[in-house]
Amino acid sequence: MASEKQHTGSSLLFDILQQHGVQHVFGYPGGAIMPIYDALYDSDVEHFLCRHEQGAAFAAVGYARASGKIGVCFATSGPGATNLITGLADALADSIPIVAITGQVPTSAMGSDAFQEIDIFGLSLACTKHSFQVTDINDLPKVLHKAFAIALEGRQGPVLVDIPKDIQLAAVENSLEDFSQLKNKVKLPPANVGSALALLNQAKQPVLYVGGGVGMANAVDELRAFAKLAGMPSVSTLKGLGAINPEDENYLGMLGMHGTKAANLAVQQSDLLVVVGARFDDRVTGKLDEFAPHAKIIHFDIDTAEINKRRKADAAILGDLKVNLPALAIPLSINDWQLHCQQMKADFAWDYDHPGDTIFAPAVLKEVSDKMPENTCITTDVGQHQMWAAQHMSFNDPSNFLTSGGMGTMGFGLPAAIGAQISRPNDCVITVTGDGSFMMNVQELSTIKRFQIPVKIVLIDNGKLGMVRQWQDLFFEGRLSETDLSDNPDFVMLAGAFNIKAKEITTKDQVSAAIEEMIDHDGPYLLQVKIDAQDNVWPLVPPNTANDQMMEKT
Amino acid sequence: MNRYQLAIQVDDKQVVLERILQVTRYRGFLIDGINAKVNTGTHIGYIELFVRSDRPIELLVDQINKLIDIKDVKVTHNTA
Repeated sequence: MASEKQHTGSSLLFDILQQHGVQHVFGYPGGAIMPIYDALYDSDVEHFLCRHEQGAAFAAVGYARASGKIGVCFATSGPGATNLITGLADALADSIPIVAITGQVPTSAMGSDAFQEIDIFGLSLACTKHSFQVTDINDLPKVLHKAFAIALEGRQGPVLVDIPKDIQLAAVENSLEDFSQLKNKVKLPPANVGSALALLNQAKQPVLYVGGGVGMANAVDELRAFAKLAGMPSVSTLKGLGAINPEDENYLGMLGMHGTKAANLAVQQSDLLVVVGARFDDRVTGKLDEFAPHAKIIHFDIDTAEINKRRKADAAILGDLKVNLPALAIPLSINDWQLHCQQMKADFAWDYDHPGDTIFAPAVLKEVSDKMPENTCITTDVGQHQMWAAQHMSFNDPSNFLTSGGMGTMGFGLPAAIGAQISRPNDCVITVTGDGSFMMNVQELSTIKRFQIPVKIVLIDNGKLGMVRQWQDLFFEGRLSETDLSDNPDFVMLAGAFNIKAKEITTKDQVSAAIEEMIDHDGPYLLQVKIDAQDNVWPLVPPNTANDQMMEKT
Repeated sequence: MNRYQLAIQVDDKQVVLERILQVTRYRGFLIDGINAKVNTGTHIGYIELFVRSDRPIELLVDQINKLIDIKDVKVTHNTA
């Protein structure tokens, strides 16, 4: 009779992953994580080999953001672990629940500058919500359960668990323990409901400022009910897009540096800002001292440390948005203000005129948005294309727009789209990227090829690092330092090398048919859209400037 | 700059001191001194931290409080 294989720390890891409902992980093997990859061989957990650990981390982030489930990634010690760091930092900045498992050299070798040894536990302090290093096999189950609980509780975030090789190999009893949810450690002060209601009732020109916390709290329905009952003009941060129904007549679009003129002017004129799951980021506020200068603040959040961090709250409503938003949902008499905001929205509507035959990226992205199937998930990279996507595409849920908000990480889009597609196999997933960002994790085309992941890639190509070039032209006297990418590879040929169908378009008359071909294609597809290198993102609030002092297309 | 003294109670876990020092530096507070001891019977650690900054101390207290292994943070002296 064949003997049962000995249970080890590694096999226990997979048992616990499955206890937490993990079906898919992203990773890359190496020496110090080989026992875990050996246990994977017998596991029902499906592993997606990415071609760089950063790609694996972003795939886990995309998976989590698109599905609301936790994302899991694996890497070996040393360079494998350090390659995860950008993904962890990105997840920390955008409050994304992922668990990263790193292999470590054996405990006996730790601290000896061993081959592929790095103190990832030390490095993790600044880029995770919490981290663990397991040095006793008996601690492993408790640590892993805690890692999942911490990633998901309160304000979500990334957790790293570093597991030395001897712990991975150590024998364990095959007995899974029940796990209980952690109690929320931080006792939140009571919500200041009375003050908030008084502020709402006094307000004549209130604005609802919606952030990424709404989607993270799964409170889109409660937010929309609140907005509808109050009839309040609303604006969104980059990460909040999709929370408010884009068809809502009182919705004014994104605010901040590349926000709509109507959104920024409404906020600057407001006498009350109702801030929901947002944090007064510098890209939102512009010059902080002059942001919404006449407004009182009601601040809804789950994180005590965000209250009064950059702007003092007149009423703080800490806790679960699903509970707190309904408690403050009241009708308001603000007809004149509504009409004023609606008029601004109409007066400053987007202008898609673009003389000549060259393709206008905002019009392309609007057309993709209009033609894409319902519940399509868009991911982006970072730069001009990202801001155009945020401005000109419409999303019916925050889980349908995945973009690196806080960290602004180029290279996010392609691996995040892979993770999103794996979590939602029946939905269309499109990544909008630029020629600079695309090259930062271009190796993940190989992951797409291996698993035949039907991600669509819209590559907005201006042969530049466009956003930096725009700033060099506007704020650095046109001294174009290191922003020329005109010697990019042939992207269509590059896609072909990975068996990915691709097409390049250069003129307006090619746009509609190309978008339709891409969407209808049954498999991965790259659409390279050549645009004028001089096109800028407008409007633009210059750095350290009030949001009503925006620069516009001349 | 204002000077502050914090009394911090922690679960005596790996790197909890490093975590507090990292957050303190990152959030813009200079460290003037530190006393730390652990009650091995209870595995509770006690840390006295002397810091200075132009920033309000609440910003640091809130961030230290967010760390997972922290049980309590009090400002015991404040020159602001």
